[in-house]
Amino acid sequence: MAGKIMSLTEAAALVQDGDLLALGGNALTRIPAAFVRELARQRRENLRLVKTAGAYDVDLLCAAGAVAQTQTGYVGFENLFGLAPSYRRSVEEGRVQVVEHACSTVIAGLRASAHGLPSQPVAGLDGSDVAAHTGFRQIKDPYTGESVYMVSKIRPRFAILHVTYADAEGNARIEGGAFEDVLMSRAAESVILTAERIEETAFFVEKPDRTAVPAFMVGAVVHAPGGARPGGCHPLYDIDEDAVKAYLDSASRAESLRAHLDSWEERDYAGCAAVSGDVA
Amino acid sequence: MSVALCEGVSGEVRAAADRMAIFLSRFIRDGELVFHGVASALPMAAIVMARNTHAPNLTYLNVPGGVDPKPSYLPGSTVARQLMEGALSYFTLTEIFDLSARGKLGLAFLGGAQIDARGEVNLSFIGDPAAPKVRLPGGAGSAHILPTARRTVLWRTIHDAKSFPECCDFVTASGNVVAVVTPLCIFEKAEGRLRVKSIHQGVAPDDLRAATGFDLGDLESAPVTPEPTDVERTALEAADTEGVRLLEFI
Repeated sequence: MAGKIMSLTEAAALVQDGDLLALGGNALTRIPAAFVRELARQRRENLRLVKTAGAYDVDLLCAAGAVAQTQTGYVGFENLFGLAPSYRRSVEEGRVQVVEHACSTVIAGLRASAHGLPSQPVAGLDGSDVAAHTGFRQIKDPYTGESVYMVSKIRPRFAILHVTYADAEGNARIEGGAFEDVLMSRAAESVILTAERIEETAFFVEKPDRTAVPAFMVGAVVHAPGGARPGGCHPLYDIDEDAVKAYLDSASRAESLRAHLDSWEERDYAGCAAVSGDVA
Repeated sequence: MSVALCEGVSGEVRAAADRMAIFLSRFIRDGELVFHGVASALPMAAIVMARNTHAPNLTYLNVPGGVDPKPSYLPGSTVARQLMEGALSYFTLTEIFDLSARGKLGLAFLGGAQIDARGEVNLSFIGDPAAPKVRLPGGAGSAHILPTARRTVLWRTIHDAKSFPECCDFVTASGNVVAVVTPLCIFEKAEGRLRVKSIHQGVAPDDLRAATGFDLGDLESAPVTPEPTDVERTALEAADTEGVRLLEFI
């Protein structure tokens, strides 16, 4: 097997209890769903999660008792299904600490890390309780004296990104909205990719400007076809609203999570065998 | 799929959803840069329909980054891939925040679980933030967009005293609010407070007062919100074939 390709199980084992993880995608689109299911199967604990807008990924890890803290702008199932039940319960019962962010302050923290700086100024937040609650401090701009909020760098141990195409070395192309994935790759210490399709490197040479993440930033590549399900992944499949509803109806309770994880196991592991055939 | 979710919805609820989408759309100015975020089905429908009514030259920005997309249908998730279909360029959420910070974002639509008398928004916590009774989803971009966009219009599909208190339990975002659209009325912000701009047809002033947690002052002179026109209804139906505008009502 070539390059950095490994099984979903091996890649998830790179994550340690207590790690700070940036999860790619947004809401129910191009989320690293297969990867977070595997983290739950491996019973990872005390994870800290960074994301602008989370849904199934954050909620499932909360249901699994894998989360100690969230740094997010939004966690919910939008107008389709409303509040994220396990996330909500975990916070209300004091098991998950909320570091309340706006999406823009998540981005600012990631930018600080990507820029190699301890913190980053951010616009907005005027009149909001978020700054005081989370502890964003104001400084005076040295040139104008204007007050500006500073957000501490957010440096995830891994950015976990589900991408459309990757090669065995970790070059990645994203179709459709990239959300904060590219920034996350620059902000994190390392990147774990799960990919719908594993392509030859020539695919990337053809259009290098479309390579969102270069191989040198990536530590592991997993072939995970359907790896964003029940979320959607442009242009291959849409959000499976019935499957999201089924998760919310049953699997968002801790006791029935096991059955949910089992029901996805075969699909989540489908890539491993396929890769040895396609790429080896 | 979303249509299936909306089956069995009463005519009354459909009328309320249509009204809110149409009333939101009326705030869009032709030629304006307009943005909605996550969990924003009603504004999404409002923006797409406004292109076929009074604002054909608006520029539509969204979280996936599709500029002026022509979605084949409106998705139930307002960050889904359909909002890249037919887009002319790609402008990321990060760039939208930066645009707003530079004072160049014309109009943004934002929701609120609580919207108080000052037009401030709570999307974070009900009760004590240290031990919340309800953990809400979080405000997404609102703490950034509300104070930096030129104009923001809020909406809330439930109008009761808990949703419209004198003061929010937690202020997630505060800023340049020009109006709030609810199922009962339209508020405008004047001298730092929300006041009733118009009351929707069939809503009794006393019922509106009872459903609002802050003082509304004199309602005698409040006009009736002009009902949706046939042109507006037709444009909305054409824009939102799947009925995602109903999602927040069911």
